[in-house]
Amino acid sequence: MYQTIVFLPLVASLIAGLFGRQIGDRGAQVVTCGALIISAVLSWVAFFQIALAPGDHALNVQVLSWIVSGDFNVNWAFQIDTLTAVMLVVVNTVSCLVHIYSVGYMSHDPHIPRFMSYLSLFTFAMLMLITSNNFVQMFFGWEGVGLASYLLIGFWYKKPSACAAAIKAFVVNRVGDFGFALGIFAIFMTFGSADFSVVFSDVTSYADQSIHFIGMELDLLTTICILLFIGAMGKSAQLGLHTWLPDAMEGPTPVSALIHAATMVTAGVFMVARCSPLFEYAPAALEVVCIIGASTAFFAATVGMSQFDIKRVIAYSTCSQLGYMFFALGVGAYGAAIFHLFTHAFFKALLFLGSGSVIHASSDEQDMRNMGGLRTKIPVTFWMMTIGTLALTGFPFFAGYYSKDMIIEAAYAAHTGVGSYAFGLGVAAALMTSFYSWRLVFMTFFGESRASKEVQDHVHESPQVMLIPLYVLALGAVVAGYVFSGYFIGDHYEDFWAESLFLAGENVMEAAHHVPTWVVASPFIAMVVGFVTAWYFYIKEPSMPGRFVATFRFAHALSFNKWYFDEIYDILFVKSAMKLGYIFWKRGDENIIDRYGPDGVSAAVVRVAEKFKALQTGYLYHYAFAMLIGLSAFVSWFVLGGQ
Amino acid sequence: MVTAITFYIFATILVGSAIMVVFSKNPVHSVLFLILAFFNAAGLFVLLGAEFVAMILVIVYVGAVAVMFLFVVMMLDINFTELRKGVQDYLPIGLLIGFILLAEMVIIAGGWTMTDGIATAMTTATPPASEVTNTDAIGRVLYTDYIFLFQLAGLILLVAMIGAIVLTHRKRDGVKKQNIGDQVRRRRSDAYEAVDVKPGSGI
Amino acid sequence: MNEIFPNLAVAYGEIFLGIGAMALLMIGVFKKDSVNLVSWLSAIFLVVALFLTVAGTGDVTYTFNNMFVADKFTNFMKILVLVAATLAVIMSREFFRLEGDDRFEFPVLMVLSTLGMMVMVSANDLMTLYMGIELQSLALYVLAAFKRDSERSTEAGLKYFVLGALSSGILLYGCSLVYGFIGSTNFSAISMAVSNMGEGGAPVGAIVGLVFVLAGLAFKVSAVPFHMWTPDVYEGSQTPVTAFFAVAPKVAALALLSRTLYVPFGEMSASWGQVVIFMSVASMILGSFAAIMQSNIKRLMAYSSIGHVGFALLGLIAGNAEGLRGVMIYMAIYLVMNVGMFVCIMCMRRKEEGMVEDIKELSGLGRNHPALALAISIFMFSLAGVPPLAGFFAKWYVIIPIVNAGYFTLATIAVLASVVGAYYYIRIVKIMYFDEPVEEFVAQKSFPMKIIATLSAVLVLAFIVPQISSPVLDGATAAAQGLSQK
Repeated sequence: MYQTIVFLPLVASLIAGLFGRQIGDRGAQVVTCGALIISAVLSWVAFFQIALAPGDHALNVQVLSWIVSGDFNVNWAFQIDTLTAVMLVVVNTVSCLVHIYSVGYMSHDPHIPRFMSYLSLFTFAMLMLITSNNFVQMFFGWEGVGLASYLLIGFWYKKPSACAAAIKAFVVNRVGDFGFALGIFAIFMTFGSADFSVVFSDVTSYADQSIHFIGMELDLLTTICILLFIGAMGKSAQLGLHTWLPDAMEGPTPVSALIHAATMVTAGVFMVARCSPLFEYAPAALEVVCIIGASTAFFAATVGMSQFDIKRVIAYSTCSQLGYMFFALGVGAYGAAIFHLFTHAFFKALLFLGSGSVIHASSDEQDMRNMGGLRTKIPVTFWMMTIGTLALTGFPFFAGYYSKDMIIEAAYAAHTGVGSYAFGLGVAAALMTSFYSWRLVFMTFFGESRASKEVQDHVHESPQVMLIPLYVLALGAVVAGYVFSGYFIGDHYEDFWAESLFLAGENVMEAAHHVPTWVVASPFIAMVVGFVTAWYFYIKEPSMPGRFVATFRFAHALSFNKWYFDEIYDILFVKSAMKLGYIFWKRGDENIIDRYGPDGVSAAVVRVAEKFKALQTGYLYHYAFAMLIGLSAFVSWFVLGGQ
Repeated sequence: MVTAITFYIFATILVGSAIMVVFSKNPVHSVLFLILAFFNAAGLFVLLGAEFVAMILVIVYVGAVAVMFLFVVMMLDINFTELRKGVQDYLPIGLLIGFILLAEMVIIAGGWTMTDGIATAMTTATPPASEVTNTDAIGRVLYTDYIFLFQLAGLILLVAMIGAIVLTHRKRDGVKKQNIGDQVRRRRSDAYEAVDVKPGSGI
Repeated sequence: MNEIFPNLAVAYGEIFLGIGAMALLMIGVFKKDSVNLVSWLSAIFLVVALFLTVAGTGDVTYTFNNMFVADKFTNFMKILVLVAATLAVIMSREFFRLEGDDRFEFPVLMVLSTLGMMVMVSANDLMTLYMGIELQSLALYVLAAFKRDSERSTEAGLKYFVLGALSSGILLYGCSLVYGFIGSTNFSAISMAVSNMGEGGAPVGAIVGLVFVLAGLAFKVSAVPFHMWTPDVYEGSQTPVTAFFAVAPKVAALALLSRTLYVPFGEMSASWGQVVIFMSVASMILGSFAAIMQSNIKRLMAYSSIGHVGFALLGLIAGNAEGLRGVMIYMAIYLVMNVGMFVCIMCMRRKEEGMVEDIKELSGLGRNHPALALAISIFMFSLAGVPPLAGFFAKWYVIIPIVNAGYFTLATIAVLASVVGAYYYIRIVKIMYFDEPVEEFVAQKSFPMKIIATLSAVLVLAFIVPQISSPVLDGATAAAQGLSQK
């Protein structure tokens, strides 16, 4: 069964990719969607078998031996435990819905088989990542999703901005992947194996050991964990390595929903959770995770408030929510983090697909300043978006309410410095989340339409094939929190997670259930304040934003320009690297190496060749002379010198 | 003594006329000098007791080859002075090479020693001239020991003949040739035709 | 007068060809429009001669008063010569059918020339050597000038003839010096005499004589500095003539050179080694560099053949069986590559212009005639010595012996020369696939040509398969041991 879940998308991808021409657009859609539906259904079966049934049901499924080189042994194998099962459900469900949605959304694209093939390829790589039982296979999946992400962001390869965004995503991810790879090397060096089981069982014996590296004495496990976390930062777009995510919105909207909201970007969260046995013995690393996560949550929320591109707003929102997950991990609330990952997948995919529906309806317009008043024209999409927004902002009894509030409470309950930091920023971010989410809804669906006449005439509700996935996701966004909170973070915590998550000390979530009332109420209040502010700014007093911007010019500029991250990076890395490269290219390569190396040699060869050519005059007596000169030279050699 | 004097006379004239072949301005003179050189070479062969070779040289080279050269030179109007124009440019290097080779040959000849084996090997090849005539001696080996080379020489001549025909022979139109077969085969009906001419119409 | 009647059995191939050539002449003269018949009969005769040669035992046998020898080495080389000649006859048949101007003398001259080559291969006497060379060359001079109305062809023939005569003179002079200083023209006798000379070695006159002989033979294999005729003659002659020139005479002359150096003068390898080293290095370098600037494909092939001869000579320098084996393998592979390449060159024809020879005319061939372009690419890569094609192994088997013999500098030069050479070979591939296409060629419809090209390409590709290469390798090993053992 597990082989089927993992490899069916690969098979579908290969069929659609290699034989797309033969089976046609419809064939490619049927094959990939069919494969994903089967995988998704089987994933839910697996989820019920592994996670919901009482007791420990973790499985190890061997597929084949991969690398055998000296002491280094790696197998293709699946480790199926609760964590994997949850991820399977998330990945396959969202992926399946996105596949179906894409049938409608991409219906006018000339390269449907390629798109479907990439989507399935991504799914396969993601499954490889989450099912692996060792770091190497995980890295394979990790790079695989990176590749698929690159291909899909640059899917419209004729658009220069899409290509640039694809390259940016790839390059920024390289930085993270480098850290991850170093982490894996360090793990192999330390533990002599890359298998999770071996590494996690040996971890205690390496706690508090240190390594020497260029004169510094570093705590071994902290170093490993921070390296791994750098990988996670790249993939999950955490502060510093987040710049690629908003640009990745150049890809088709289903891609944004699948890869850049629900699945790939959560790989970092998953990885840290998977490595909880390591991180638990590296408290310093956990603090770093917590600080980075909280900062990201806050930072991304501030940027989200001032953006106008509907997809970018959601992208920053994703960034921010990922920050929540990380600081949850940082305070040890692994269950809460994964729970938020789970619920977030539903409502964020819903928001993305909804925004796709909006974009689709308004003739590929993404700027919210050119929208407005769509509520009556596309009511289904409006309601779906509203549900998603309610879930995101944490409206009581929607999915986000359970998971996000739990995270904030856990941060408070940790009673540590970084925990308090995270709590404060988390509440602030919740307020801003509420503000920008409702701002999005108000700007898009309420008020007068600001679109051009042609676009207005053209606005239409999306076809059923796009709406059905929205219904399914909306259902998840409404009930996922209520139904599963007991298992993920509540009373069945121990039973549910079993061995898949590790805690060295106290369970912070136990404490989180017993925090003061004001702490419990604070996210809700923040949400309400955010909503009211948004309502005031965009419904009641539409001139307010302009005045606000005029007053707080600096704050707005900072937010609007994404805290100048792109500009700083451009100056620090891109420009200087270009300049350095230019110097090496012009001075080093062309003027020194080429001039005296290849070019010099080839020029010399041509000169010699011309001389040789000139020897061949065509005159008979020259030839005869040449022969005689040669002969007499040989003879002289022997007569005079040879003897 | 007489032999020695004769040898030097022949040899001097031979070398002298060979030089004149190259340097005389008139090509006809060159060919004539060539003939003179052949005659002297034949004389040298006679001195060696190789009268057959001497006669062959006179008959074939003088009688056939040199005479043909003469024909060719006289028939073709070639401006030899024009051809020789560039000689001055190449004369120094040509002379240098010639001189070097000559000097080396002298050095080699100076160092020539005969080992015993060589002397016997050389003499066994030919029967003593007093016992058998030249022609007889050549005949004895030509069709036995050297039959292979003899046949090959025949083939080479065949190739030369084919070559000459291939490169020069052309079928020309309008050349009358006697074909006896055609003449014999000719019938009365081929020769004439009776035409019934209508009065007043002409043929 | 060792034997009353010479042992003819070892020379059945030669005898058959000699008589056959005369019979062909008769057919050609007395039967009208018999060009086709004579051509095909020539090819058949050559094949029959091949079988007669192969039928020999391969034991060392002397005949015709020790002037003629047959052993495994001669068998091997004659097979190469006869295969090359047969293919050349077939190719020229196809060529003249398209170009017109076909005369029955052409195949007959080829047969006679081939006979000369066989004699060269089997020569065991300086006189046989000379006769073989003359028979071969004289026919070749005529072939070079065969298109008598073309100025280029006539010029090629004349140049070849005059320079050939000069080289013959040098050769003869060398023979007479050797005879004068050693006392015999027979290879076996010379060998004995030289080994008897002991410590002081051969007299300097004999060495100089050998140098003269070497120079004469070097002219035939077109080794630097006796190569000057090659580009002009290759370019001026008609393509099938060039194809014939490029392979069969080279093989024969190299066989003769090997025997001359190994058998009579084997003891003097220290002397001739230096000359051969110079010729080898100079040929490799000139062949590689001069070809770069060529625009005519036949001229390019001429320089290519000069370069290849340089490589083949490397094997001789090693002076042992291993090196000789390398030479033989080299020539076998060289044969296949060149025959294939020349078939391809003959495909370069357009309706209006007829044959074209400029390399630029090949541009766009990859699109117009993918199969032809592929074949040319295979041959080019092989000529350049790119593994795993046959040309790589050819170089491999000559470079390894000289490395084993301690000539490291020489091996380095060889490798560098082949790097430079690769430039112009691969440039052709680039032109075919990446340059702006020009008008396409008339498709080659002839079945034999396609067969030859395909077979050559397959052989070049498949040489790496042991089952394909082992007959050549084993044959060469046995033959080489036979020759250098004595």
